[in-house]
Amino acid sequence: MWGGLWQGIFNGLASGWIYVLVALGLTLIFSIMRILLFAHGEIYMLGAYVVYYVCVKGGIHFFWALMISALTLGLLGIILEKYMFRRIRGEMEPAVLAAIGLTLLFQTLAVIAFGTYLKYIPSIFPGVLKLGGVRLSWDRLLVVLIGLVLTLALLLVIHKTKVGKAMLAISHDPEAAALQGINVNRISSLSMGIGCALAAIAGGLMGSLLQLAPYMGTFAITKGIAVIILGGIGSILGAVLGGLILGLVDSLVALFTSGTIAAIVGFCVIILILLIRPKGLFGHD
Amino acid sequence: MRLGRILNFVLLVIFVFLIPIFFRSSNYYLIVLILCGINIILTSSLRLIASVGQMSMGTMAFAGIGAYTSAILMMKLGFPIWAAFPLAGFIAMVVAAVIAFPFVRVTGIYFAMLTLFFGEVVRLVISEWSSMTGGTTGLFGIPSIGTLSFFGIHIDFAHLLPYCYFVLIVMVLTLLILYRIDRSHLGTTLAAIERDENVSASVGINVIKFKVITFCIGCFFAGIAGSLYAHYLRVLNAETFGLFPSIYVLIYMVAGGRKKFSGPIVGALVLTVIPEMFRILKQYQPLIFVAVLFLVLFFMRGGLVDLPEKIRSRVRTVNEGRASNA
Repeated sequence: MWGGLWQGIFNGLASGWIYVLVALGLTLIFSIMRILLFAHGEIYMLGAYVVYYVCVKGGIHFFWALMISALTLGLLGIILEKYMFRRIRGEMEPAVLAAIGLTLLFQTLAVIAFGTYLKYIPSIFPGVLKLGGVRLSWDRLLVVLIGLVLTLALLLVIHKTKVGKAMLAISHDPEAAALQGINVNRISSLSMGIGCALAAIAGGLMGSLLQLAPYMGTFAITKGIAVIILGGIGSILGAVLGGLILGLVDSLVALFTSGTIAAIVGFCVIILILLIRPKGLFGHD
Repeated sequence: MRLGRILNFVLLVIFVFLIPIFFRSSNYYLIVLILCGINIILTSSLRLIASVGQMSMGTMAFAGIGAYTSAILMMKLGFPIWAAFPLAGFIAMVVAAVIAFPFVRVTGIYFAMLTLFFGEVVRLVISEWSSMTGGTTGLFGIPSIGTLSFFGIHIDFAHLLPYCYFVLIVMVLTLLILYRIDRSHLGTTLAAIERDENVSASVGINVIKFKVITFCIGCFFAGIAGSLYAHYLRVLNAETFGLFPSIYVLIYMVAGGRKKFSGPIVGALVLTVIPEMFRILKQYQPLIFVAVLFLVLFFMRGGLVDLPEKIRSRVRTVNEGRASNA
């Protein structure tokens, strides 16, 4: 029983970090561009498929495949920002609808291009570390590690670099930031790029842990939105805590009941939070 | 109502009565008509909810509640159709009322998210509650709504043509009610709330009350639509009422146009019929939605209903240009 519990906690943390990565991208894009990128889940899905094709079909090592995927989807994000979202920036409704349109588009294209059969990425580090009755699989440990590293990197960039501070400025007040000479367009592109890259990495990691399917994006976006509501929109710390908590809840509740009930519980919690404290744990908006 | 509008309505009714006869030989067209009718009801109900500025992403969840209520009442509890059918709408409305009070206090995007998550919860509950709903395998063998005999005429609603009429009659009644609401004092109040909640509240409009009422009425009709669908298809499963179907209804409404009453009707018609025409390319069907959605978002914010207007003003500008050059 206890072994099962720790196992659940470990697995929950691993999936939690994936939620964190998705949520980080989502919250970054929302803070800077004021758009809830509904299609973020599809970016995650595309990231996973790029990793699959580059790594499994192309024979390139998983790590480099992740990098390539991140760069590709980051680039896609920048293109989307420049040609689509820039035109409708500031207006909430069309932006959300455009994002929904993108979601449909990418998902349909994925079904057409990749087929609906599940695909698998073989485990990069097979095997387990046995620690006191708990089986810590190496690839889950890798997920936790990558999650930590990327989050710290993002925090560093935001708080220590000029670009990062520009992002903070825009997230507080875009007009004032522009008055200070910040190139809002360029920073928006950059944040979209970073956000999408993070999603792509999350997708690749999840693909290696579980499997790939064209509809895996829907799962990601619902979790992503749940996390940023829990943690608070606009807060990196919130995204981290929210992601980990949600991951743990999903995993632990599933231990005692079924996966579906765990999801129901998760969503009910989110609904309660939206009603009681929409700002979430650390939000500011 | 002015004479012109009554005339329009009468024409609509006549039209509605003639079309199914026109297509009576083809089961396929009758099915498309049934689906159009159901989608029109769904989209118009969403328009009502959206007319106070609430974007509901849970339309199909309420349709699902209606569908399963109607099916389960008839199958497991032996309710007759004339009880089960309205009850489907009422139960959906009751659920809507329960969640509306907390939900409507929350604005804009948060409300949309709430309805999204609620929709997911409904879908998950439907798939989990196997004893009632057949879980993931689905619910089979939903009875048809029965037969009607009078004056020696026998109508069996298990057949497509009578059922098509049933759907269309319900649709016309729904549109009538929604139209009257739109044109009534209630409709004006809702428009005021959408324009500016604070100003409305300051003139004494109980914003929360009206938002709850609109949400409930909208969900009532969504439930009715769901019930219609259940008795047409005779088979139900949780996935039909998930997130993407709700998104489709939202797209029907946006594509058709939200402001005018006929907007959702046009949107639902266009986006039900055109994908059906491309049935062979089933995988590519959603791309039609995407294309129409982007077309509307970038070129025709008001929706497809505005298309005649836009063409007219283009022609006018061209003509004026020609006149000034002459």
